[in-house]
Amino acid sequence: MNRLLCMLAASVLALGGPAGAAPAKEYQVKAAFLFNFAQFVEWPKTAFSRPEDPFVIGVLGPDPFGSYLEDVAHGEKVGGRKIVVKRYGKAADAFGSQILWVAGKDMATMMQDLAVLRNKPVLTVGDADGFAVEGGVIRLVMKQNKIRFRINVEAAQASGLSISAKLLSLADIVAPGKG
Amino acid sequence: MPLRNMPLQKKLMTIMLLTSGTVLLLTCAGFCAYEILTFRHTTAQQLSTVARIVATNSTAVLAFDDQRGAGEILSALKAEPNIVAAGLYGANGELFAFYPESLPRGKFPAAPGEEGFRFEKSYLSGFQTVAQGSRRLGTLYVRSDLRAIAERVRLYFTVAGLVAGVAFLTAFFLSKTLQRQISDPILSLAGTAHAISERRDYSVRARKEGGAEVGHLTDAFNHMLNHIQDQLTRMELLNRITSAIGERQDLPSIFQVMVRTLEDSFSVDFGCVCLYETLPERLLVMSVGVKSGTIALEKGMALPIDQNGLSRCIKGHLVYEPDISRVDFPFPRRLAAGGLGSLVLSPLLVEGKVFGVLIVGRKQAEGFSSLDCEFVRQLSDHSALAANQANLHTALQQAYDDLQQSQQTILQQERLRALGQMASGIAHDINNAISPVSLYTESLLDNEPDLSPRARNYLQTISNAIEDVAATVSRMREFYRQHEAQMMLAPVDLNRALQQVIDLTRARWHDIPQQRGIVIRILLELSSAPALVAGVEGEIREAFTNLFLNAFDAMPEGGTLTLRTRIRPGGRVQAEVIDTGIGMDEETRRRCLEPFYTTKGERGTGLGLAMVYGVAQRHNADVELESAPGSGTTMRLVFPAPAFAQGEDRPVLRIAPPTPLRLLVVDDDPLLLKSLNDILTGEGHDVTVANGGQPGIDAFTAAFAAGKPFDAVISDLGMPYVDGRKVATAIKSVSPSTPVILLTGWGQRLLSEGDIPPNVDLLLSKPPKIGQLREALAKHFPPKAGKGP
Repeated sequence: MNRLLCMLAASVLALGGPAGAAPAKEYQVKAAFLFNFAQFVEWPKTAFSRPEDPFVIGVLGPDPFGSYLEDVAHGEKVGGRKIVVKRYGKAADAFGSQILWVAGKDMATMMQDLAVLRNKPVLTVGDADGFAVEGGVIRLVMKQNKIRFRINVEAAQASGLSISAKLLSLADIVAPGKG
Repeated sequence: MPLRNMPLQKKLMTIMLLTSGTVLLLTCAGFCAYEILTFRHTTAQQLSTVARIVATNSTAVLAFDDQRGAGEILSALKAEPNIVAAGLYGANGELFAFYPESLPRGKFPAAPGEEGFRFEKSYLSGFQTVAQGSRRLGTLYVRSDLRAIAERVRLYFTVAGLVAGVAFLTAFFLSKTLQRQISDPILSLAGTAHAISERRDYSVRARKEGGAEVGHLTDAFNHMLNHIQDQLTRMELLNRITSAIGERQDLPSIFQVMVRTLEDSFSVDFGCVCLYETLPERLLVMSVGVKSGTIALEKGMALPIDQNGLSRCIKGHLVYEPDISRVDFPFPRRLAAGGLGSLVLSPLLVEGKVFGVLIVGRKQAEGFSSLDCEFVRQLSDHSALAANQANLHTALQQAYDDLQQSQQTILQQERLRALGQMASGIAHDINNAISPVSLYTESLLDNEPDLSPRARNYLQTISNAIEDVAATVSRMREFYRQHEAQMMLAPVDLNRALQQVIDLTRARWHDIPQQRGIVIRILLELSSAPALVAGVEGEIREAFTNLFLNAFDAMPEGGTLTLRTRIRPGGRVQAEVIDTGIGMDEETRRRCLEPFYTTKGERGTGLGLAMVYGVAQRHNADVELESAPGSGTTMRLVFPAPAFAQGEDRPVLRIAPPTPLRLLVVDDDPLLLKSLNDILTGEGHDVTVANGGQPGIDAFTAAFAAGKPFDAVISDLGMPYVDGRKVATAIKSVSPSTPVILLTGWGQRLLSEGDIPPNVDLLLSKPPKIGQLREALAKHFPPKAGKGP
């Protein structure tokens, strides 16, 4: 845990650092964000088929995190469940994950994947343009050299997720069909 | 002023205000302390709460590294003006955001400290962990300014002060009003006490205000006043009785006053005083109250002393019988029968000895309180003292009177002795002077049968008068002589004696009053038979004369003198002298027989009735006296029955003329010498006279020597140079067998003193009587027939 915090702090410092830092560093922060979202979101009961099922953080498509996700999740638990990082090729395979990074290879694939995952109890996170507008739940964006996020509340509600007000207060709320 | 000297009201106020003030102060202090303590706690709590809220709200900003959001969250603390600084530290311990933004970073702790809050000088500050779920995300630092607390405290103190002030004022006015509940009754009581002590009016009573202690105090105070008033009343009564008693000096009136006052002012239903007598032991009722007499006792009654209260009282104890109906002794029962319920017996003591008992009673049982008993005891003491003093006074007065009487008597006796001595001399001369008269009168009556009846009557009167003169002369000596030893008792007819006294005193009852136009009637009621008694006629006449003179003196305006004689059955003979004069009062009646007691002032000697009494005693006669002022006086002499029968003739001694003798008569009085010579020669004797003692002795010696001795010598006793004694001695020395007869003017005195001088054969008193001379000579020379002339 401490290790994680140290990492996060380090990333934050890194982000405040000079521009043009390695993209990998950016994803290290984003990996921490993914993990942190688990703290502020509640999943419906239907998200887990069995009590002993692990908490799954998945990556759909190309993986920008390297080993960062594993580093963040190592030894951590969410709601008493072990965290497992899984990588998926197809969206349909990723129904069993709770948080799913949806990489934006191209607009069409992303829209397709999001459509598949619509209404499923999966928190979809991405950083592609229009991700939240197109049905993704949280889009991470760079703003003044800091990573901020936009949340599509409707999509979240449709997926049966309940997002903490504290998280919402930090985010830009996205109305469907807009930017 | 020390509290104890304060006036009651001020004291009460001070106490109440001190108490309430102290309570208020302590309460305020406690309240403030509590407030300060709890306020610190509350402040810490509040700060902790605020810190927790802020920390909770800060999880997301820390988790997602949102510095702006963190700044917003912290700036929300503006709403809490106490919070002067807040800072968020990230998980790495770096200060992530802070509030207010104007504060330099240096004012914040460099690194987060331990969780919890601490008070520092004027701040309360501490750290709060920021965590999401179980994940620690950072630390919140908050600092609160304690000036607010100070302000609160100041406010508290202000409020407390105001409340205390108001409360104190309220307490002041309340206590000012309420203390009256206590102080008013006490002050009223104190006022009453002051008024009483100032005016000395113990009839004032304190007004009772309320119950409880002050009420009891008032009751007790009033009760005490009742007592004092009772006591004062009693003292006053005691005083009154004592001074009333003090004005009296005889026991009956002292006791009467005491009993009366007790009845009138001490409301007893029964009161009496008894005197204690030891032989026999009993109580004599001396004085009984007016109301009391009807109840049980009467004056003069004697009470036996039974074994009840009376005997204890006699031993000197005050006895209280609260309910005599339950006492089974005669005396209490008698009083109970009279309606009495309770009784106090108080001894009257003088020098530790009981001389009487004061008894008071009331109709109700338990009628006397202890104060009453004490009062009775004191009264007894006082009256006992007064009684004692009265007794002493009476005794002193008696002694004084006796002394005065004795002095008077001695004075009188001294005067009388001088008078008596003078009288003796006079008597001697008178006896000598009347001797010839007596002798010639007797001789004429005896030896002259040819006398006319008229002459004989006159001579008889002369003879009686001479006899009375002689008797009077001898009586004169009785004034200083107690007692006539030899009294020649002879039958005396009281009727004749009364008649003679009427004749003798004619001047007093007839001649003198008539000159003033006053008439005294003489009424004779004499017994038909001669009222004979054995006595001395002269004395009896003397007694009657005195009675007559007194009777005349008692009738200055005239009246009737009744003379009455009677022979009582049994032989006693009484003579009454009854006047219709002014009478005697009791005092005079009681004392009239005393010598020197007179109602006639300087006129009287006080010896008249005393002499009558003396005569009566010598005759074993009683003097009876009946008299009342204004209704005359009856004096009655009652003589014993005479030894001889009444009406018996007076034995007349007829002695035959004796044998003619040669007689020598010696006297210094020529007249007497001549009369004796005449009489004795007339009797047939051969008489030689000698004028004086020495010539007498010479004549006798010469005759004896001549062989013609005298048969007897008759000599006067008192003569100049050679008196009768010497004559007798001389004659006896010459011729012891020759009888010597002495004649004396002192005769009766010598006889009574047994002072017959030696060598004297017979002593005859002057005036000599022919009979006596005949008798004397006949005794020595019995008539013998045939003896030659």
